[in-house]
Amino acid sequence: MDWGSSNHGTALMLTRSTLLCFVVVAATAVTPAFARAADPFVDLAEKSNRKLVKLFGAGGFARLNNYGTGIIISKDGYVLTVASQLLDTSDLVVHLYDGTRLKTKVIATEPELDIALLKIQSEDKLDLDYFDFFEAAKRPPSEPGDWVVAMSNTFEIALRDEPLSVQRGVVSAYTKMAGRRGIFEFPYTGEVYIVDAITNNPGAAGGALLTRKGELIGIIGREIKNSLSETWMNYAIPIQAKTEVKIKEIVKDKNGKDVEQEKTVVVSMPEFVTLGMQGKYKPITKPKVIGGEGGYHGIIFVPDILERTPAYIEDVVPGSPADKAGLRADDLVSFVDGEPIVSIKAFHEYIKKNTRAGIVLRLEVRRGESLETVELTLGAQPSKPKLPTPSKP
Amino acid sequence: MIQLRLSMPVAAVASPALVALVALIVPQTIAAPSEVDKTVLAAQQERIAAIKKVHPAIVAVCVQGGQGVGSGVLIDAEGYALTNFHVVQATGPLMQAGLANGVLYDAVVCGIDKVGDVALIKLQPKEKGTPFPFVEMGDSDKVKAGDWSLAMGNPFSLAMDFTPTVTYGIISGVNRYQPPEGKGLLEYTDCIQIETSINPGNSGGPLFNMKGELIGINGRGSFEKRGRVNSGVGYAISINQIKNFLGHLRAGIDADHATLGASVGTASEDAPLTQMVIKQMLDESDAYRRGLKEGDQLIEFAGRPVTSTNQYKNILGIYPKEWRLPLTIRRDNTRHEYLVRLMGNQAAVIEKANQPMGPPQPAPPAPPKGPLPKGGVETTKMYEGRKGYSNWYFNVLERDKLLEAFKKSGDFSGVAGKWTIDGKFAMADRNGPLHAEINPTKDGTIIKLKMNIETTLDPLQQTDIHIQQEPIGSGGLMMAMYHYHRFLTLGTKGFEGLFAHGGYEPFYPPPADGSVPKSLASLRVDCAVIDTKHGSANCKWFFSRKDNTLLGFELYVAKDARETEDRDPCEVYCYDYKDVSGRKLPHRFEVRYRDKRYATLTVSSYNLEK
Repeated sequence: MDWGSSNHGTALMLTRSTLLCFVVVAATAVTPAFARAADPFVDLAEKSNRKLVKLFGAGGFARLNNYGTGIIISKDGYVLTVASQLLDTSDLVVHLYDGTRLKTKVIATEPELDIALLKIQSEDKLDLDYFDFFEAAKRPPSEPGDWVVAMSNTFEIALRDEPLSVQRGVVSAYTKMAGRRGIFEFPYTGEVYIVDAITNNPGAAGGALLTRKGELIGIIGREIKNSLSETWMNYAIPIQAKTEVKIKEIVKDKNGKDVEQEKTVVVSMPEFVTLGMQGKYKPITKPKVIGGEGGYHGIIFVPDILERTPAYIEDVVPGSPADKAGLRADDLVSFVDGEPIVSIKAFHEYIKKNTRAGIVLRLEVRRGESLETVELTLGAQPSKPKLPTPSKP
Repeated sequence: MIQLRLSMPVAAVASPALVALVALIVPQTIAAPSEVDKTVLAAQQERIAAIKKVHPAIVAVCVQGGQGVGSGVLIDAEGYALTNFHVVQATGPLMQAGLANGVLYDAVVCGIDKVGDVALIKLQPKEKGTPFPFVEMGDSDKVKAGDWSLAMGNPFSLAMDFTPTVTYGIISGVNRYQPPEGKGLLEYTDCIQIETSINPGNSGGPLFNMKGELIGINGRGSFEKRGRVNSGVGYAISINQIKNFLGHLRAGIDADHATLGASVGTASEDAPLTQMVIKQMLDESDAYRRGLKEGDQLIEFAGRPVTSTNQYKNILGIYPKEWRLPLTIRRDNTRHEYLVRLMGNQAAVIEKANQPMGPPQPAPPAPPKGPLPKGGVETTKMYEGRKGYSNWYFNVLERDKLLEAFKKSGDFSGVAGKWTIDGKFAMADRNGPLHAEINPTKDGTIIKLKMNIETTLDPLQQTDIHIQQEPIGSGGLMMAMYHYHRFLTLGTKGFEGLFAHGGYEPFYPPPADGSVPKSLASLRVDCAVIDTKHGSANCKWFFSRKDNTLLGFELYVAKDARETEDRDPCEVYCYDYKDVSGRKLPHRFEVRYRDKRYATLTVSSYNLEK
């Protein structure tokens, strides 16, 4: 075929669209030239793979994955991962690099850092390869332009003894997080690494972000959209991460009266890990989580993992208003004062907006095959849990 | 998780264009060359050299008229190119292909592998005999996670003059298993996972190592919330899998993958370590006839350890059906090694293949309806449909090429008369003189075989399976002699049922000295196969790919016999080729049936009549 025909082909191409908009994120000037670009990442991938686990837990429906990744940070099996719905199960399991399948327990979680500490359960004494978390936490953070390697069980490609996926890229930015998940602002607002590789896919959360020497620098986060640009974020939480949380505290004033006072607490990942390993960590609780406005009921719902999780009661706090009203596990809260309750969130919102201590609510709950009406007299919010005493790692 | 193919939807590309322009900020300062580490410069030079080397051989696969659908890569000077099955599914059997020189060539589909998502196409040179540029195939078993790689092709049909796009990234994983998309097709086994960016239009394009050797064919990605563009997780079919199918692809076969005929699973899902065991077996499977049992622990398959369900599928998934492969099991603490013939798995799937596949996504368009679109003048002549073949034209081509090469050992068409063979035989319990006659008469061929006891067979009159399998215990040695005579003297004319190239297969001739082999795997010789059918008997003929010698043949008296124990072939292995009046014939045969040696025949004289 001659050039004429080729040009014909060309013309055809010009008239058609690709329906796809390409958005190439403007890359900052990067000169990784001294990073020995010639070296492949084979050794790093092999060694790091031994220090990571495939994590399996709750989920498997409604676009919530029941798989993720974890980072081993001690030879006896402490594991760091993201504080996701995956952990809302008593049946948490890891697969080690050699295919060993072991049960795992959640030791502590901190939603403000979106982080969780797990412990692998084993009858035999474990002697695992691990990332030295505290050593890593002492190093200064990586900078924009630094090479990074990401390792995770993205898309659940690996099972048992299959190695995790490895990707490489550079740090595009080290900046404050501004993310959202669905319609909700993301709780963590501290510093994050933004990476130019597509690291944050299903199952990648809890994976490791490494320097090209294989040093741990961050924990790959979830699938979250940037709340400013509406684009998917590829981020990792640095292991030095800390965040400031404003909480409300009730203190006695001069007259011995209870008054509410705002206070800023700093929570850091090293502190979380240190206390967590000692079994002493207590999560920071923002006012809105438990002690929001509205009356106290004492209902414990099933884990709220769906956009609209039906308001099933998992348990009631003994002695609480809910207990006294005769509510019990497996009841489904369907109406409150005639208002349909479509989800756990809707219930909380109703309580927050419309109630205070002393109010009597008429709940209609589905119990087995029947619909029961229950009168619930709300109480006052119980006093706040004590904050952890910060201690140096 | 949704797995998607990466071909360009032709329908989608017809609507108005909207391509957002992109600002690429250029670094303000560029480090002076003197500051750059030498290894970095060396790596850069290597990269440039690799791209330059392979660049001319990258193919943009187009529908007639030049609209891009996918990518491909030339693998020899004649113009054979690899691409994805799902790409040729969109073009139909006649297509066009653009090269980096800007020229659009006519092309025709050769072989296809629907399950493996591979197709071989043939480009026609503008002038007969002009060689095409092509790339070298590498060894994908040597690829490791963390290695650098290059993907090339025509994503989004960006290049209007077919100049290939290059992307660069690392291998994210090897020996990956990605389940079939839709109804059993497009199963990616033992594949290579890459972060190297691949997008719609990259389908069928090559993945290279940094030496510029072809290590895979890009075809799929994992896509979910981010849409159908590079998600950082792409998959390439390993070139070593494609090598196993290359004989089938060149021979225009609609190739099929295999099953063991047994379901294999983990002994217990909750156990700390996996043990793979045989759970259920099909009576008609070779695995069952070879003596495998439910509960056997699978240790090794085709020379690789079996550690998980995915790994088992990876091993099985890279072989065509009917391949014979070694398999090691543990039963009562004893290891047993078997050679097992694999069963086809497409039969169940093929019915569904005509239905739309996969999730409701912008899938490649269905093959054009109605009459075939007009192809090039040459390529139209090069397409011939036939059941079981994607293009029978290429089967005849490859078959005749093989027969022509085999003819160098002698032309037997002039000696199609009575053959008399004398020598000695040795069996487990007796031995003595051998006398055999193959006598074609007007009323049919009569075979006589005397090894102490005389047996005769009139193959067309005596149609009972058990008579055809005589002498007892041989699986049909007289029938095999009858077919051997026909194959040598009549060739294609002697087999009214089938005479086709059967692709490549491994063959396991026992040691010529009769000794016990170290392992069954060590016997393997790679062969090209001819499949024949005459009457009710099928035969497979194995030619060494090194020198085209006929190493042996397997005769199935009744491949689909009702009693499954009758389905095993009489295996004849040929050794010690010597000259017989200007023609080469084996002077020693080993005859085996059902994993046992039946007899060794040593020939002292052949008498070949006209």
